[in-house]
Amino acid sequence: MRPLDTAYMWDLVPVIASYVPLTLFMAIVAMAAALTLGSALAIVRVLRVPVLDRIVAVFISFFRGTPLLVQLFLFYFGLPQVVPAMTGIDGVTAAIIGLTLHFSAYMAESIRGAILGVDRSQWEAAQSIGMTQGQLLRRIILPQAARTAAPTLMNYFIDMIKSTSLAFTLGVTEMMGAAQKEAAGSFLYLEAFLVVALFYWVIVETLSVGQRRLESSLGKAVAR
Amino acid sequence: MRTLVLTAALALTTALPAAADTIRVGMSGGYFPFTFTRADTLQGFEVDFLNAIAEETGDEVEFVTMSFSGLIGALESNRIDTIANQITITPEREAAFAFTQPYVYDGAQIVTREGNEAGIAGPESLDGKTVAVNLGSNFEQLLRELPNADAIDIRTYESNIEQDTALGRVDAFVMDRVSSAQVIAQSPLPLELAGEPFSEIRNALPFRNDEAGQALRDRVDTAITTLKENGTLAEISQKWLDADVTQPVSQ
Repeated sequence: MRPLDTAYMWDLVPVIASYVPLTLFMAIVAMAAALTLGSALAIVRVLRVPVLDRIVAVFISFFRGTPLLVQLFLFYFGLPQVVPAMTGIDGVTAAIIGLTLHFSAYMAESIRGAILGVDRSQWEAAQSIGMTQGQLLRRIILPQAARTAAPTLMNYFIDMIKSTSLAFTLGVTEMMGAAQKEAAGSFLYLEAFLVVALFYWVIVETLSVGQRRLESSLGKAVAR
Repeated sequence: MRTLVLTAALALTTALPAAADTIRVGMSGGYFPFTFTRADTLQGFEVDFLNAIAEETGDEVEFVTMSFSGLIGALESNRIDTIANQITITPEREAAFAFTQPYVYDGAQIVTREGNEAGIAGPESLDGKTVAVNLGSNFEQLLRELPNADAIDIRTYESNIEQDTALGRVDAFVMDRVSSAQVIAQSPLPLELAGEPFSEIRNALPFRNDEAGQALRDRVDTAITTLKENGTLAEISQKWLDADVTQPVSQ
């Protein structure tokens, strides 16, 4: 067994670190968009909006039922063959759109579950004092559902951060792409991939601290 | 009206990049010594070669690195103008793309783990062996065309075939002779060449087979002729490979 080339690993740290902002940018933008889209999809499902409900069901089924990589390739390399103007979409944008669509499908189901988990009496009470459907969702149901859904949604965010590594297949050099290319030049695979793994781990751990804070603030109303 | 102008402008810009002054060159960045990074600097045979071409034609070069399997799709969907990644000319690819003249002549090489315990001496001794190739590379097809192809367990990889062969997960990998020799000389991996190269391959730059692509191909092809005549190409080859692989092997 050869010893770990720690000097090489230290040299790699600034290289990989310079790609952290891009990874976070893609994940954060996609997370915000997926949360918005996922919530909308969930509400359509819960309220059983005619016609839209069926379309959303097919959307969720497709984006949950096919791998993210397949969706990214379809979107980035496939569709431009029939819609040439789509070539104008760059790799970063395509990755963000792909992540958004994919994860919004998962989130929609989590949020739907969380909404359905809010006790029926809450709906009835809100209706009895004359709230409109929009008001009761916004003021009564969604805040309670958010607390239930938060841990799962955080899981998806973590998954999303790691899924940005697929962007290299679309020509976006992010953390993983940078590590691949460095490993090709040095043949020190263990070192290169270890460094990038540690980076992902540290990012996710930092987020977990934020998650605990968020959960305790969402739980204030029901704290005993 | 305004949207019309915008749409027209968009159509124009997406239709014309091949005629612009920037040649967008796709490469994997993961193919030593042709394209790889050290300390975040992209380098290698292909990088020097394309920079030399651009100097001749007066164009700018923009390198775009992506996974090897995405390169052809990126070329077809007009996201890059050519691929500099030792792309071998095959009949199928020639039907789809406009190739320049070959700039590297090479052979397919079997590489095994040091010691060659499986006793592989050439393609005929690959029966019952697991052999790794890169996904989408022509080496996979070369293997499938062998008379004993059915007896070979061909494994396609996205990357890192050298590492998996060194680890003993597969019996061998097949790659071009030149970079195989380089990998063995320069990497710490315990690997060795097994037998002689078994098929001549010619590598060139593919362009889209449309008017703009062909025009750019012609411009680049002229530059390659110049680089061959003035010795620049041979110099680049010597620098990265310690050998001149830019002339045909079989006279």
